[in-house]
Amino acid sequence: MNEHRRQILQMLSEGKISADEAERLISAFEEPAAAKSPENGSKGATARPKYLRVQVDSEDDGGHDGPTRVNVRVPMQLLRAGVKLAYLIPAAALQKANLAMHEKGIPVDLTQIKPENLEDLVEQLSDLSVDVDQKDANTKVKVRVFCE
Amino acid sequence: MIPFVAVVSLRNQDSRTFRLWIPLFLVWLLLLPVVILLSPFIFIACLMCRVSPFRGVTVVWQIFNALTDSQVEVEHRSAGMSFHIL
Repeated sequence: MNEHRRQILQMLSEGKISADEAERLISAFEEPAAAKSPENGSKGATARPKYLRVQVDSEDDGGHDGPTRVNVRVPMQLLRAGVKLAYLIPAAALQKANLAMHEKGIPVDLTQIKPENLEDLVEQLSDLSVDVDQKDANTKVKVRVFCE
Repeated sequence: MIPFVAVVSLRNQDSRTFRLWIPLFLVWLLLLPVVILLSPFIFIACLMCRVSPFRGVTVVWQIFNALTDSQVEVEHRSAGMSFHIL
């Protein structure tokens, strides 16, 4: 029996509060504890997403020809496996890529990026959500990238 | 598990849908002898690039496994296409 419940029952036995009030107080103390337990609600928040979805809706020429919809669903497992391809990149190729990027003014050292870092990056994609909404005179494009 | 079937759906202007089931397991069976024949060359190429051939095989196998449930859909008023790997 926890401390709060003991105090409430003591107040009830001393006649300071009624049985109804005691019941309400006990339930008020129990509700936040129940909300914190993993069986109630927090399970969904920790669930790992299974797919990365890319949706593109576009309308050309004012939509006379109807919208074009593109819907791509990529399993997250495929992304995780894909980043492991970084294991297979030879060191010489990384050096060449570094040189090319430095020539373009991008100071990134690819040899410092480890496959573990890329795997962490994929894990963090679960919080990713990108919405792009572009409207021109003739085109209307809407792009959504999210995990589900 | 590696994907066994891919489904391609095509829809024309008259809303007629043509669905094609591609048995990928037959493709894998056909590719298997080719991969076995080429494996010594792949092994040598990996060693020349200083890449572990076993790790390479593992990664390629994982990618094949992860292809399951991939889906691409393109919809337009006049036509539509969908590609689903099962």
